[in-house]
Amino acid sequence: MPVFKTPFNGYSVKFSPFYESRLAVATSQNFGILGNGRLHVIDLSPAPLGPAAPHQPITELIAYDTADGVYDVAWSESHDSLLVAAIADGSVKLYDVALAPASNPLRSLHEHTREVSSADYNPTRRDSFLTSSWDDTVKLWTVDRPASVRTFKEHAYCVYSAVWNPRHADVFASASGDCTLRVWDVREPGSTMIIPAHELEILACDWNKYDDCCIATASVDKSIKVWDVRSIRVPISVLNGHSYAVRKIKFSPHRQSLMMSCSYDMSVCLWDYMVEDALVARYDHHTEFAVGVDMSVLVEGLLASTGWDELAYVWQHGTDPRAP
Amino acid sequence: MAMRELVTGGAACAVPGSSSSANPFGALANALIGSSSKTQERLKEIPQSTPTASEPQFYPDAHGHLQQLPGSEFEQPFMQPGTQSSDFLRNFNSVDGNRLLDNAWDEIQTSQPPPMHVPQLDRIYDLGPVPQLQPTLDGPPQRVLSSFLHSFVESSRGGMPFRPAPLPVLGLSAGDKRCIRDRTSIMARHFFADKSEDFINGQVNALLSSLDIESDVNSKGPLPARFRELEDYWNESQAIMKPGAHATERWVTEFNQHRVDHGDPNAWAHSFERQHGANGWASEFEQEQSQLMSADHMRGANMANLAAMEQTRMLANTLAQNDDPKFQKSRFLQFVSKMSRGELIIDDNQVKPATSSASGDWAGEYQQQYNAGPNWADEYARGELSHGPNQWANEFASEQEQHGSVDDQWVNQFSKLHVDDWAEEFGNQVGEGILGDTSADTWANAYDEYLNEQVASKQHSDASRGVYVFSDMNPYVGHPNPLKEGQDMFHKGLLSEAVLALEAEVLKNPENAEGWRLLGIAHAENDDDQQAIAAMMRAQEADPTNLEVLLALGVSHTNELEQAAALKYLYGWLRHHQKYGVLAQPETVGFFVARLFNEAAQMSPEDADVHIVLGVLYNLSREYDKAIESFRLALKLKPQDYSLWNKLGATQANSVQSADAILAYQQALDLKPNYVRAWANMGISYANQKWILSHLYFRLQELNKP
Repeated sequence: MPVFKTPFNGYSVKFSPFYESRLAVATSQNFGILGNGRLHVIDLSPAPLGPAAPHQPITELIAYDTADGVYDVAWSESHDSLLVAAIADGSVKLYDVALAPASNPLRSLHEHTREVSSADYNPTRRDSFLTSSWDDTVKLWTVDRPASVRTFKEHAYCVYSAVWNPRHADVFASASGDCTLRVWDVREPGSTMIIPAHELEILACDWNKYDDCCIATASVDKSIKVWDVRSIRVPISVLNGHSYAVRKIKFSPHRQSLMMSCSYDMSVCLWDYMVEDALVARYDHHTEFAVGVDMSVLVEGLLASTGWDELAYVWQHGTDPRAP
Repeated sequence: MAMRELVTGGAACAVPGSSSSANPFGALANALIGSSSKTQERLKEIPQSTPTASEPQFYPDAHGHLQQLPGSEFEQPFMQPGTQSSDFLRNFNSVDGNRLLDNAWDEIQTSQPPPMHVPQLDRIYDLGPVPQLQPTLDGPPQRVLSSFLHSFVESSRGGMPFRPAPLPVLGLSAGDKRCIRDRTSIMARHFFADKSEDFINGQVNALLSSLDIESDVNSKGPLPARFRELEDYWNESQAIMKPGAHATERWVTEFNQHRVDHGDPNAWAHSFERQHGANGWASEFEQEQSQLMSADHMRGANMANLAAMEQTRMLANTLAQNDDPKFQKSRFLQFVSKMSRGELIIDDNQVKPATSSASGDWAGEYQQQYNAGPNWADEYARGELSHGPNQWANEFASEQEQHGSVDDQWVNQFSKLHVDDWAEEFGNQVGEGILGDTSADTWANAYDEYLNEQVASKQHSDASRGVYVFSDMNPYVGHPNPLKEGQDMFHKGLLSEAVLALEAEVLKNPENAEGWRLLGIAHAENDDDQQAIAAMMRAQEADPTNLEVLLALGVSHTNELEQAAALKYLYGWLRHHQKYGVLAQPETVGFFVARLFNEAAQMSPEDADVHIVLGVLYNLSREYDKAIESFRLALKLKPQDYSLWNKLGATQANSVQSADAILAYQQALDLKPNYVRAWANMGISYANQKWILSHLYFRLQELNKP
């Protein structure tokens, strides 16, 4: 399946919710420590029509350069060409792939005072999105406003990820380096729930797409924990298997108990948290830290990953990502 | 970088031409307000997603949601009877009586946006002096860290010895340094999954302090509250390091204060714990450590590298404990381990392969010196190795458990181990006269020497002549019209910014002679002739007959005391001039060129350019009186040319007419108040006149103010 070489170190990869062959890849120079960033929009080409045409598995539609690393990217759920990029310089930039390159970025929102670590588009209320930042805050934005709607400041350390609940338009969760997971309702003044989910920093969280009370956390403690927000004293499940910090976690849009994770141990893993032997598959195709994963909403079993080896892979579950 | 973008209005926002005021903040405000209203219009153009029938339509109600009056639908998701969860989630709203924000979001959706960007503007004003207004006196050639890093990483992977490429000199801004520091320290916590917080802090802070060692991390962005205390501490230590007459004394005093604190262990420990929590002392220790390193660096040592090596070695060891072959191949980890072995050093914010050539020498010498005497640095490192900070921390932790509270013992141990050592050693060295003398100004001299050496070695080693060195991390990359932006910046006198914008332009259009020429002029005005020459040569490649370029090349080469090259270009100027071209004879060499120009001057005495070239030529042949005469003639024709006034001043200064020179520089500065080159020259002239050099310093400070 296709591989895409990025000039910078990969940071995040996301499937378009509108086109099954389209992805966005966020990259940063120098491992994201210092330098420029680039946001790629790529297309998986269909098989060649004529026998003579050399098959290019992935074509780049467009790339946007940024002054600082791009740590995350999110596709709009309402406009098929709109992207939100989380930039390390603290800005949040909106790009419209359909517009001329000169008019991009459409908007540059400067409110976060530190690196913006994640962006997530509201899947139910599709005019709003969340960003989380190393300035310890989460911000709520809508596309039509030049300033954030709200700032959620409770975490005591970097917020690495903030993710909308897939069913409730006003509920989201945030994962922070302060070792807590917080659940918020944007109509409430403060967080609704604080879950001290891990002993070490929590790098990512994601809601189950079929059970709106189920959420998974990934931590520096190498484990993934699955929680039911109605009874938070013990996790539903603890998944061990990564040998270094777990960087991202993502629930399958197709199967209730399936999850995908990537880690500083350079591997990408699939898990089924409901069965005894939870590890479903381990992919070892990356040669540096694997830091970005996504699962296609439109094609079941289509997976994507990126890492600091400057490669973005797209492959069907069960096949070898590196197979040509 | 964020700030830079704010000031320039971001990549997408062109500064409106109407910004009349010279005040950059005025322009800034215009830029922001102008651009934001523009982006708002643009946003309206966002295509409403109109998937065709053939396209997958996954959210059939997308439009409905968008058009619906907000507030009417948000309860819907909660009204899903049958799911046990909704009870729970509904409780979010019903449990407490605080409904303050209940409808806030929805109101926001319907109401008009408030007046644009006012809070943003406030923030910008809060950010303090805008860095790009600072003229840099020694526009250091900037190089590309990333390409170097990558080529290093590539070569090391193949197992080949790393070929020292022309090395990146990175003019890291304070913000960049902060980036490196903060990001690496945050990321390291993720890499070291197993290690204790203290250990990670120890590793990373020491590594980073070497990067920050030169730092004037004074321009503070907002920092999270948890670091503020440490940050203040850091500032304090930085302030102490400022070279000044009493720097040493102050430093020692400061240190003594700390020792006094140490002398009263319980109080110290307790109050500290109160302040920073149980783990805080480790960070405090790091700060002290970096302070030490700063101090050393001021003396021209590369202690920073020793310490960084030690730290990275541990870092690499830890990582190497993972015997996964994949890990051993990681380029990132190889980079770290290479640094730990001293194969790479960080010097003056450049990552360099350690070589024994030129600039490496002084470091080596210093180390020899060190090895000769009792070596507290090594001792310190050894002590740290054997005790290992994490172990040390663990010890502390266990002791704490045992005794329930901090006891005197560890404080004593601590001071015995480290603090006394280096303090005495420092005293001894000062006493023994390693610096030649104990007086503070010798110390300052040593620092000056070191700076000079740095500058000298830079000029030798870098910028292999004529190769233009691009800045890394250019915020203007991707800008729609960087040339226009660059011209604007240039006219506003924001030279460093102009350079960046113009670099973006010539990266985009390498054949744009005008872009290269302006870039060259910007560098020349910023007192960096090396880069000016490199840029001008590219301009000449693109347009070999451009007279302005040829003249500029002649002047820059004259400044660099390269007669032959200067003459070549000045002759080229004559040859390509449509009027004087006839005078050019193919074999003219050397100072006969001057004669040709004299003829040209007689042909058209009203042409200022000819007089300028003549003035430059006479400067080359050190006939300063004639040169002054030529420039004066040119100035009669072109009294508004600030660079011409500067040329006159420089020539007068060269012929030891400092007082006249200052008048000429003053003219130049009246015409262009932020003309770096003239300021620099004026400072030199004042200095020659036994004026205080600080005059220049203070005036430059004034310039920085908005």
